[in-house]
Amino acid sequence: MTIVNASGDVVEQGWTTVESLEGYGPHHGIIVSPAVLLDSFDEADHVSLSHTGVRLSVEDDVSEIAAYVPHLGLIELVFAQFKDGRPYSTALTLRRDYKFTHELRASGDVLPDQAIFLIRSGFSSVDVPDQFTAQEFKKSLMAYSVAYQSAHDSHVSLIDDLRRSTPDVAAE
Amino acid sequence: MYVYDSLDKTLLNQRVAEFRDQVQRRLDGDLTEDQFKPLRLMNGLYLQLHAYMLRVAIPYGTLSSDQMRKLAYVAKTYDRGYGHFTTRQNIQFNWIELSTAPDLLYDLSEVDLHAIQTSGNCIRNVTADPYAGAAADELDDPRIWSEVIRQWSTLHPEFSFLPRKFKIAVTGSEADRAAIKFHDIGLKIVRNNEGVLGFAVYVGGGQGRTPIVAPLIKAFLPAPDLLRYLDAVLRVYNRHGRRDNIYKARIKILVDSMGADSFAAEVASEFNRLDPKLLSVRDDDVSRLRDMFAQPYLRPDPDSSSSFEDLVKKSPRLGPWFKSNAHPHKTPGYSIVTISLKPIGGIPGDATAEQMFGIADLADRFSLGEIRVTYTQNLILPHVRQADLFVLWQELERLNLATPNVGLASDIIACPGLDYCSLANARSIPISQRISERFANLNAQHDVGPLDIRISGCINACGHHHAGHIGILGVDKKGEERYQLTLGGQGNGESAVGKIVGPGFDEDGIVDAVETVVSTYLSLRTEGEVFSQTLARTGQDPFKERLYDNR
Repeated sequence: MTIVNASGDVVEQGWTTVESLEGYGPHHGIIVSPAVLLDSFDEADHVSLSHTGVRLSVEDDVSEIAAYVPHLGLIELVFAQFKDGRPYSTALTLRRDYKFTHELRASGDVLPDQAIFLIRSGFSSVDVPDQFTAQEFKKSLMAYSVAYQSAHDSHVSLIDDLRRSTPDVAAE
Repeated sequence: MYVYDSLDKTLLNQRVAEFRDQVQRRLDGDLTEDQFKPLRLMNGLYLQLHAYMLRVAIPYGTLSSDQMRKLAYVAKTYDRGYGHFTTRQNIQFNWIELSTAPDLLYDLSEVDLHAIQTSGNCIRNVTADPYAGAAADELDDPRIWSEVIRQWSTLHPEFSFLPRKFKIAVTGSEADRAAIKFHDIGLKIVRNNEGVLGFAVYVGGGQGRTPIVAPLIKAFLPAPDLLRYLDAVLRVYNRHGRRDNIYKARIKILVDSMGADSFAAEVASEFNRLDPKLLSVRDDDVSRLRDMFAQPYLRPDPDSSSSFEDLVKKSPRLGPWFKSNAHPHKTPGYSIVTISLKPIGGIPGDATAEQMFGIADLADRFSLGEIRVTYTQNLILPHVRQADLFVLWQELERLNLATPNVGLASDIIACPGLDYCSLANARSIPISQRISERFANLNAQHDVGPLDIRISGCINACGHHHAGHIGILGVDKKGEERYQLTLGGQGNGESAVGKIVGPGFDEDGIVDAVETVVSTYLSLRTEGEVFSQTLARTGQDPFKERLYDNR
């Protein structure tokens, strides 16, 4: 499995996805289902939660794990199909409403050509599907240097910032 | 008009480069057709029955003469010498080679045109009143707000993979010439009691197999909140819109199942969570756009005003053309002129490269270099001095573009149908051609008066048949093309969905049926009554009797 960060660079995979907690202590860097999270973790145990990630399908409701969210070390949103765009809105909601600041990972059926949308929506890493390479994701991230909208990335927005900060350009 | 600055151009150039790379990967075999499909669709490239079709976005139906020349060049260079203007105020080229598509898009980018978001489940090219900036009844120019929406929605990171396609239309006039209530979001520019500018927001209209006239979701949205509100609507839709059934995936189904009130409440709650600072449409942006769209001053020229009587004296054929194809401009002495792309027996919306070059020149000579595309598949020269009408009309006649039939029986809207489209069940174009020929007598058409005939080749309703006074829907019945007839739709001003009259007809039968409907109207109408008024008064029964009694 290959993980790329928001710049498209390959990063060390520090997390293990598990179905149950058997054999794992509380500080192992594991990614669990929302059911396991709710059953086995205390929402007040912020230290354990910071070593824990949760994996959400498009059908899972973030509000059910609301109390855990700000303290989790990682949230992974699984794309069922690349054309099912719900995780983009979920990502935004996690960043904006839940003030989630840690790693937000996209996995499942994602295309390299969507990389820029993922990062701009608030994802900070991508689990690269087997049929693609990290290089393809990086290349796609480099495709654009400007964007119209403000979003969760370093792109300057034509609408909100750039035209105002460079009036000579706008006046052309 | 909006003029691209270096930032718009940068983004567009990067888009062209990205697509060139994607096409190369496909041609090299690095991408399968399945992998390539979503990428080409994001650039308006469809695989149709015979070839690739490229749909080019015409932003809110507005073209400069130079852009029209480039479209003509594309038709000549990359297609078979013609293009097809669509019910989405766009243009389609039907015979495109995949290997040349990147060059085509590069050529278009030289005049700030592209095919971004002309397909796929994203926010499509925004449409607007084609009389924008020229209509006397306009509260504010819808192009300003359409451009704001264009920028916000272009390559939107969150809303590029929606449950289904998403269409927004804007009008600044009471007389709705953009059919806004048949769109996913319809925006009507209004002023509240304090005189503040804003929008009435309609959400969840559409045609297709479930035609719905959009309900009013918000009666007054202050203009600076526009993007924040659209953002909220789109997020609620992206979250809750159905993805299990393509036929129930449009926002109209969501609004209908939640109820307009609960939908509005959900949007309001999302709206209130959004940071107003981030999405506020600022006054300085609006005034910058307002300056761009401001037309050069037209000197009021009431002496140039032409009356029907004056023009008939110059040529007997000019009078009817003026009556049906010219509309009063906000400046005295000027007209908004519609160029009919519906010659008798022709293909609705088609224009040859020669015609497009010619129209571009006429726009430069007579209309400040501006051209509009209507969703009824005609073109408009928005600012014509009435003293120039005679010369303009002569030039249009020479180009076979002066058919005096706008708003009349042969001004038919038709989708490409089975002649081109891989989704179609039946042919649309030949039916429209035969109906047009049946009504070839233009004097008779003028006598019949306003009549809106629309034809779709399948239930996706690209020909807007639900909203035609007379609607025709092509269906496949055990391998045979059949045509259903609906009456009573309204697409302009009032919006209404037509009702099916009875059993369908074959190809010959539907042409006869349309003629029967028209002759029934003529026998029923009272003094000054137009078709839709007669139908509203009598209901369908007398029409049904005449259509089916002799069977």
